[in-house]
Amino acid sequence: MMQTLASAQPDILQKMIFGETPAPSEAAAWSDGLFLMITWFSIFCFVILMALMVFFVIKYRRRPGVPAQPSPHHNLHIEILWTVIPSASMLVMFVYGFWGYSYKIVSPDNALEMRIQGSKWSWIATYPNGSSSPETQPLSKMIVATDTSTSVTQGKEYPIFYVPENTDIRLRMMSTDVIHSFWIPEFRTKMDVVPNRYTGFGFRTPKLTANDTVIYHDAETKKNTTIAGRDMWVFCAEYCGDDHSRMAATLRIVSQEVYDQKMADWSVQLSPIDAGKKIWTQICKSCHETDGTRLVGPTWNSVKNSDGQFGFGYDAELADGSSVMRDANYYRESILDPNAKVVKGFAPAMSSYQGQLSDEDIDNIISYIQSLSDRNPNAGEDAGSSETESDTEAAGSDS
Amino acid sequence: MTMIDTDISGVPARILQSPKHWRNAKHQSHWRTGDEEFDAAKFGMWLFLSTEVLLFAGIFCGYAIFRMLYPDAWANGSHYLDWRMGAANTAVLLFSSWTAANSVRLAQLDKQFWFKINLIITIICALLFVGIKFTFEYGVKLPVGKAPGTFFSYPYAHDVHEPLWWSLYYVGTGIHAFHVIVGAILFALVLWRAHRYQAYGPTQYTLVENSALYWHIVDLIWIFLFPLLYLIH
Amino acid sequence: MSTPDTHAGHHDEGSYLSGPPGTISRIWQWASTIDHKKIGVMYLFAVLFMFFLGGMSAMAVRYELLDPIRTQTTEFLNASGEIEIVTVTTGESLKELLGAMGIGDSLTGSQIYNRAFTLHGAIMVFMFIIPAIPAALGNFFLPIMLGAKDVAFPRLNLMSWYIYLFGCTFGVLSILLGGVDTGWTFYTPYSTTTDADHWRVVLMVMAAFILGFSSILTGLNFVVTVHKLRAPGMGWFDMPLMIWALYATSIIQVLATPVIGITLLLLVFERLFHIGIFDPSLGGDPVLYQHFFWFYSHPVVYVMILPGMGIISEILAVHSRKHIFGYRAIAFSSLGIAGVSFLVWGHHIFTAMGELAAILFSGLTFLVAIPTAIKMFNWIATLYKSSIVINTPMMYALMFLFTFSIGGLTGLPLATLATDLHLHDSYYVVAHFHYVMMGGTVIAFMGGVHHWWPKMFGKMYNEKAGMLGAAIVFVGFNLTFFTQFFLGTQGMPRRYANYVDEFQTLHVLSSIGAVLLLVGFLIHAAVFFFSLKWGEKAPANPWGGLTLEWECESPPIEHNFHKEPILKHGPYDFETVVPPHCDPKDYPLPENPGKH
Repeated sequence: MMQTLASAQPDILQKMIFGETPAPSEAAAWSDGLFLMITWFSIFCFVILMALMVFFVIKYRRRPGVPAQPSPHHNLHIEILWTVIPSASMLVMFVYGFWGYSYKIVSPDNALEMRIQGSKWSWIATYPNGSSSPETQPLSKMIVATDTSTSVTQGKEYPIFYVPENTDIRLRMMSTDVIHSFWIPEFRTKMDVVPNRYTGFGFRTPKLTANDTVIYHDAETKKNTTIAGRDMWVFCAEYCGDDHSRMAATLRIVSQEVYDQKMADWSVQLSPIDAGKKIWTQICKSCHETDGTRLVGPTWNSVKNSDGQFGFGYDAELADGSSVMRDANYYRESILDPNAKVVKGFAPAMSSYQGQLSDEDIDNIISYIQSLSDRNPNAGEDAGSSETESDTEAAGSDS
Repeated sequence: MTMIDTDISGVPARILQSPKHWRNAKHQSHWRTGDEEFDAAKFGMWLFLSTEVLLFAGIFCGYAIFRMLYPDAWANGSHYLDWRMGAANTAVLLFSSWTAANSVRLAQLDKQFWFKINLIITIICALLFVGIKFTFEYGVKLPVGKAPGTFFSYPYAHDVHEPLWWSLYYVGTGIHAFHVIVGAILFALVLWRAHRYQAYGPTQYTLVENSALYWHIVDLIWIFLFPLLYLIH
Repeated sequence: MSTPDTHAGHHDEGSYLSGPPGTISRIWQWASTIDHKKIGVMYLFAVLFMFFLGGMSAMAVRYELLDPIRTQTTEFLNASGEIEIVTVTTGESLKELLGAMGIGDSLTGSQIYNRAFTLHGAIMVFMFIIPAIPAALGNFFLPIMLGAKDVAFPRLNLMSWYIYLFGCTFGVLSILLGGVDTGWTFYTPYSTTTDADHWRVVLMVMAAFILGFSSILTGLNFVVTVHKLRAPGMGWFDMPLMIWALYATSIIQVLATPVIGITLLLLVFERLFHIGIFDPSLGGDPVLYQHFFWFYSHPVVYVMILPGMGIISEILAVHSRKHIFGYRAIAFSSLGIAGVSFLVWGHHIFTAMGELAAILFSGLTFLVAIPTAIKMFNWIATLYKSSIVINTPMMYALMFLFTFSIGGLTGLPLATLATDLHLHDSYYVVAHFHYVMMGGTVIAFMGGVHHWWPKMFGKMYNEKAGMLGAAIVFVGFNLTFFTQFFLGTQGMPRRYANYVDEFQTLHVLSSIGAVLLLVGFLIHAAVFFFSLKWGEKAPANPWGGLTLEWECESPPIEHNFHKEPILKHGPYDFETVVPPHCDPKDYPLPENPGKH
C-alpha cells in the first residue's frame, strides 16, 4: 500500500483545514497529505512573491527627480528557469494526484457493494440482502424534560446508513431524476450520481476506537443508548433544486456485530439476487443459460470455452472486434439497448426491455449475474460460498 | 481608388447621382483607403464564417457521439430519409453557389443586368431548397410520427433511440434551413440595392462578395450534412 | 458606403463628450452613435449597473447564509395531558425580508435562496464580467492605443451594444417574472425539467444566447481592428500588452462562443420540444451538456481574466515607470493561455467522467498554470529598480498580484485529481474562482477604470478617497472569500441554503466581509460621482504614460487624434522617452539607458 503523506497526528494547519478529526482512511489521509504538500508549496511561492513585491515597493518608491535605474528588459536564463521549475513541480503534483485518484476510485473485488439511489431530495442505500435502512435522525434532538415525550428536534430527519468498521465499501450509484453528487467529506471523495448510468467509488471504513461513540435512538422504545460507532455526514454536492441543501444522510460506522444484527432485522423477503433469479426464470432463461451452455444469447456464467470468456467482470469480445468490460453499465445497456454491443459469434436477436423492466428489476438481474461470476464483488456477503471466495482472491491477485 | 471607365449611358441621372451608386460610394473615414476597408470586411467575414462552422460543429459532435452510442438507431434513421430529395437539394445548392460566384464576377465587370439575373436565380434556388425541405421532407415525415424527442410516435420504429436520431436530424437541417433563409434575405437586400441604386460595381462590391462567401459556407455545411444524414447507413 | 456627417471635419473639433444642446438630441446622439468611445462609455455604465445588481444578489446570498434554515419541531404535553407537536421554520432570512416587502409569498426560503445565487451567477458572468473589460474599457481604448480613429466596423459595434441591451432585457424580464433557480450553468436535466410550465428559464437561457452574439461581434471587431488598423510604424511587438491581451481574448470569444450558442439553443429546444438530446429518459446524455457547456465556459474564464492581465501590465509599467520585464513572454503567454484554454474544459466534470478522461484533463489543466506563473514572475520582476508611486490604480495592481496569486495557487489542488474529488463543488471551489474572477478580473477592472478615468472623462478623482475605497475592498474581499476555503475543505457544499451548525462562524465572518466589500464599492461610486460633478480638469497625461492614448487630449476629441499618429517609440520606453504632454523636469531620464 502507498505510504501516506499526512502525519497521523494532525498539526495545527491540518486541523484548521480539515477540522479536528483526522482522516478516517488511508486514501483520505493520502489526499490530505497531498493537499498539505501543495499548500506548503503554495505558501512558499506566495511568500517569496509577496516579499519581493513589498520589498520593491518600499525600496523603489518614487522620489521626485530621481529616475528609475535601467535594468534588463528580459533575461532568457531566468525566464527559462521560472518556466521549468513550475512545470516540474506541476508534473509532481499531477503524478501524485493520479496515484491518489486511483487509490480513491479503485476498491478490492471483495468489497461490500452498496447501492445508492439519489432522487430529489433524499438518498436511499440498499444493502446486498436487499434491505435498506429505515432509521433516520434529525440534525439535533434535545430532550427537554425527563419525560421522553417532550423534546425539541432540529432539522429534517436524515436517513442513517450503517456500514461495518474496517471494511472496504464500494458504492454503485444512480439517480432517478436529475444529477446529484454523493459526497462523504470525511472520506474526501465524491462522485456524481447521474440518471441512466451507474457511477461509483470506494472507501475503507476505519477501525472504531474507544472514543468513537454515537447515540442510538431506538424508535420503538424511544430510548437513547450509547453504542460504539462513528457518524459522518453525507451531502449532495451537485445542485439539484429546492431542497438541495437538505439532501443529506448520516453514514454510521458500527461494529460488525451491530451491522449484522441490523441486516438480520431489516432483511426482506427476496434478496436482489433471488429477485433477479426470479426474473431470469420468467424472461431471460429462454435465451441465456446460467450453467455455461450456449443458447441464442451468451451464458451468464463465468466460463471460458471455445466461444470466449463469459461472466461478470470479464472482457467481452464484440462483433466489431473491439472488447468491452462486462460491468454493471454494460449489462444495463445490453438490457435496454441490446444491439449496441453484441458479443462476437452471436446474432443481434434480442429486443429492448426499455419500459418493460423497471430500474429495480434491472438492478436485481445484474446482482444475479454478478452472483454467477467468480469475480463477484459481493461474494462472501450472503450468496457466496467458501468456494467462490477463494476464487475471488485468486482473481483479485492477478488483476 | 481608381475610377474605372464604364458605360453609363442609359443609366438614369437619378440613379447615377445617388450617393449610394457604386461610383459615388466613399469608404468610412477611419480607413485610409477603400481597399483596406474591403480587406477588413472580408477578413471579418471569414472570422464570422469560422464561428458558423463551430456552431455546426456542436451538432456534428452530437451526431458522432450518439452514432457511436446507438449505431442501430442511426442506421435505421438514414433508411427513413429519401436520398433523392437530399441529392436534389444538393444539386440546387451547388448550382446556386455557382450563380452566387457569378454575381460577384458580374458586379466586378459592371454587367448590371446579368448580375441581377444571377442574384434572382440564387434566391429562387434558396427558396426551392427550403420548399423541397419543408414540403417533401418535413411535411411527409411529421404527419406519420417521425418527429423529434417526445413527439415521436412512428409505430414501426425498430430501435428505442430513433427519437434522438430525428431530434438531431430536425435540429441540424432546421438550423441549416434557417441559414439558407438568412442567405436568401441577404441576396434580396443586395438585389434591391442593385436595382434601386446600382449600388454595386467594379469598385464597390463588399456586400456581394461577403454574401456569396456566406452562401458558400451554407453550401459547404450541407455538403457535410447530406452524406452524414442521408447516405451513411 | 456613405460618410456619416459626424465623421466630417478633422480639425478644431471638440471633446467626444460635447454634443448638441437639448436633452432629446443628446440622447439621440448617444443612442445612434458609432463612436467607439461613446459606445465604450455606455457599456461602462451598463456593466457597472449590472455589477450593482449582481452585487445586491450576492448580498442577499450572504444575508441568507448568516444562519441556516431550520425546521424545529417541539413535542410537549399540553394542559390536557395530550402530546402536542409544533413545527416552526427558522432562519429563512430572505423570505422574511421579502415578506416585509410584500413579495415572494409562494416560495420557500430555499427556493428564494436558489433564485438569489442563480441571479448572482448569471448576472455577474454573462452581463458583467464577460463584457466588463473588453466591451467597456476595450472599446474605448483599443482603437486609441492602436492609433486608429475607430474600430474596424463601427456600426457592427453599435449593433453589438444593442444586442447586449436586448440580452440584458431578456435576463431582467426573467427576473421580474419570478427568477430562475437553475444555477448559472443550466445543468441538464434539472434545467430542462424545473419550473416546467413557465417561460422564465427559457428567457434566461435566451438572454445568455443573445449576449453570446454580442460577445462574438465585439471579439470579431477587435481581431480585425488589431490586424488592420495599427498606426503606421506599429509592428506586432510594438503593441501595448493590453492590446495583446484583448487580441487573445477576442480570439477566444470568436472561437468558443458559437459552441455555447448551439448548446443553449439545444437546451431551449429541449425545454420547448423535448428533443431528448440531453434527456436520459430518451437515451440522451446529460453529461454531454456539461461537456458542451464547459467547452465554451472554460475558455470564457480566460475571456474574463486575460484583459485583466492586460490592464495590470499597463498599470504596473506606467506607475512604476519601468519597461515591462519579458514583454514577449507576457504577450506569448496570453496567446498560450488562449490556446490551452480550449483543451481543459474537462476539469469541471472530474466527478462525472471516466477515469482515463479525468487523468488526461488533469494533466492538461496543469499546462494552464505555466503561462500564468510566467506572467506573475514577469510582473514582479518589472518592479525591480523601478520608481513606484502608490495611488489607486497602482494599489489595485498590487492587490491584483496578491489576490490573483492566491487564486492561481489554490487552483493547484483542484487540478490535482485526488484532492479535487474532495474539493469539487465545495466552497473551496467558490473561494478559488472568486479569487480569480473577483480578485483577478474585478480588481483589475477597478484598477483600469481608475487608471483611465481621467482620460475617459477629463476629470480627476479624489486620490485619497479612492485609496481608502481600495483598501476597504481589499480587506473585505479577503475576509469574504478566504474563510470560504476553510468551509470547503471542512465539507461545506456549494449552493446550500442550509448547513450544519459548525460552519456558522465562518459563514458569519464571510458575510461581514461582504458588507465591507459593499462599503468599499459604495465609496468608489461616490468618488466617481464627485469626480464627474466637481472633479478638477485632468491633464492629457496625468501618470506619464507612453502608449498612444496619452497623446490625445483628456477627454479625447471626436476622432481621437488631431492627425494620424506615427509610432516613434515603444509602449514602455520609459528610460529613453519623456512622456507626451509632460514636463521633462518631472520625468527625468536615467543617464545611461539600458540595452533594448
